[in-house]
Amino acid sequence: MWTPVSPRLATARRILSALPLAVLVAAGAVLAALVGWPALWLIPLAGLALAAWAWVLIGRQVDAWGYAEREDDLLVRHGVLVRQLVVVPYGRMQYVDVQAGPVDRAFGIAQVQLHTASAHTDARIPGLPPEEAARLRDRLASRGEARLAGL
Amino acid sequence: MSGAQGRQAYADGEWHRLHPLTPALRSWRILVVVLVIGVQNGADNLLSGDFNTPPDVNGRLLAGGGAIILVVLAVGVVYSVLSWRMSRFRVGPEALELYTGVLFRQHRQARLDRLQAVDVVQPFLARLTGLARLTLEVAGGSGSAVSLSYLTDGQAQSLRNHLLARAAGVRYDTDEAPEAPEQVAVSVGAPRLVLSLALSGPSLALALGTPLLIVVALAIGNVGPLLGIVPTAFGAISLLWQRFAGQFGFLVATSPDGLRLRHGLLEHRTQTVPPGRVQAVRLSQPLLWRIPDWWQVHANVAGYGGSSAEDAPGTESTLLPVGSRAEAIAVLSLVLPDAGVQPGEHPGEVVDAGLSGSTPTAGYVVVPRRARWVDPIAWRRTGFRVTSAALLIRRGRLRRALDVVPHARTQSVGLRQGPLQRRLRLVSFTLHSTPGPVSPEVPHLDAATAARLLAEQVDRARAARASSGPERWMER
Repeated sequence: MWTPVSPRLATARRILSALPLAVLVAAGAVLAALVGWPALWLIPLAGLALAAWAWVLIGRQVDAWGYAEREDDLLVRHGVLVRQLVVVPYGRMQYVDVQAGPVDRAFGIAQVQLHTASAHTDARIPGLPPEEAARLRDRLASRGEARLAGL
Repeated sequence: MSGAQGRQAYADGEWHRLHPLTPALRSWRILVVVLVIGVQNGADNLLSGDFNTPPDVNGRLLAGGGAIILVVLAVGVVYSVLSWRMSRFRVGPEALELYTGVLFRQHRQARLDRLQAVDVVQPFLARLTGLARLTLEVAGGSGSAVSLSYLTDGQAQSLRNHLLARAAGVRYDTDEAPEAPEQVAVSVGAPRLVLSLALSGPSLALALGTPLLIVVALAIGNVGPLLGIVPTAFGAISLLWQRFAGQFGFLVATSPDGLRLRHGLLEHRTQTVPPGRVQAVRLSQPLLWRIPDWWQVHANVAGYGGSSAEDAPGTESTLLPVGSRAEAIAVLSLVLPDAGVQPGEHPGEVVDAGLSGSTPTAGYVVVPRRARWVDPIAWRRTGFRVTSAALLIRRGRLRRALDVVPHARTQSVGLRQGPLQRRLRLVSFTLHSTPGPVSPEVPHLDAATAARLLAEQVDRARAARASSGPERWMER
């Protein structure tokens, strides 16, 4: 029933999180080699450990994202530590956003976000292939129109 | 353009100007701001003990300051007059249109079928001159309202009646829209309002904090602590004054146009919220109000918006600042005439159990006992009750609250589970409503109960939407 998001989202997020850590590891390694204190090697090691942890965590986070199109509503779930599920009736949709930042575009993913009249509705789906995002947007818009209700 | 002739003339589909006194009222505000800044600066100079400057320097400073004030004032007046000249509005059959702006032009259109509330506001000065501002709220987020300031009071009221009649789908043959008859349901007397404010958080903090600090100051023989509290005390007093002035003479009335609220000491406000425009209601009771069993009622109305924080809801979102339990329930029944309880059940009992009950009586589903690990104080009270018309959520042990959301006004629903809750097999259920003081949530429900509630609530909301009345509420 649940449609997963693209694994490219994990790649994009991993690379983004790895960049600062790579700098840390490199700087730590250079420092340790120059100064010659063995204890300083803990810095690059900690960086590597952080990177490994982020790698696993991002994988689980991306796996946790999912959405399901039902007849009258859209379900979006996400979160590893704090799990969340939101149900948005199509008739309650006010508008749909499709966003893609420069990194997203480089990896060929986009984010679809649904807005209702409530500011608390947190229904965004990151990491959709652009064609799927466009399809979902059009589908949501047409379904919303068919079931449109006032407030 | 005055008197009876002017009144009807506004709804003729032509462009009209606002009242010619508008620029005077607006520049008065600028004058006040300039004066306040001037006085503050002067006071700062005095306080900093700058007495040693020669008198002629002081004189020159004064003359310079006066010149600056005059220039600012002149610019302000010219701008106000220009902006009045540039503003015009039109009342069409489907929408209210407003053109404004001198440099940046704005054309705003509010569709009458999207109307959420109409307010007639008279700020103090406008009240003295018999003018009023008409504000039409539509559900477009903050800053989407169309505000006509200023019209004469009579014009504003007759225009409001016209707009409401139009939005309701009422056709009338007379020259002027008939004023919907009002029936006062609840009025709040000044003594009760004062007492309720005395029993509220800010005054309690003042009453407890000031003597404490005096003792401390005496003990250490230094007035430092007392001086430190002055800004806080000033803030508390101004908050109390704001509430008192805003909620003075509060009247809740019903009319075919919907709920009508009148209140205000200096600035007088008349709000009209048509039927079905209230998205969610909260009846709540601050701790000390338990002694006289008083309650306050707030509501989410799309357009009144999210500017109001949870702790200090804006005056607009207040349906009743203070009232007895019976009065609070009366206001709730005005907003939600059909409670949708089961046959043989009394709606009053269901609401009563929601206000002060703490057991699974009156059909309330409560959270399991293991929720005490995450919510040791309020877990006994937390619970919900579903009727055929609305979802009732009761919460809070120290500050009791009952949230009521009609099924037809549900936006979206969600579940949320943190790591601790997962171990205890608990899930929080959230119902998303439009921005406002009410954010309905049932925390720490049994996981299976929450899942069932979510599924059922989605179905109930859909069914209620499908069978809810038309947007034009008189066309039923």
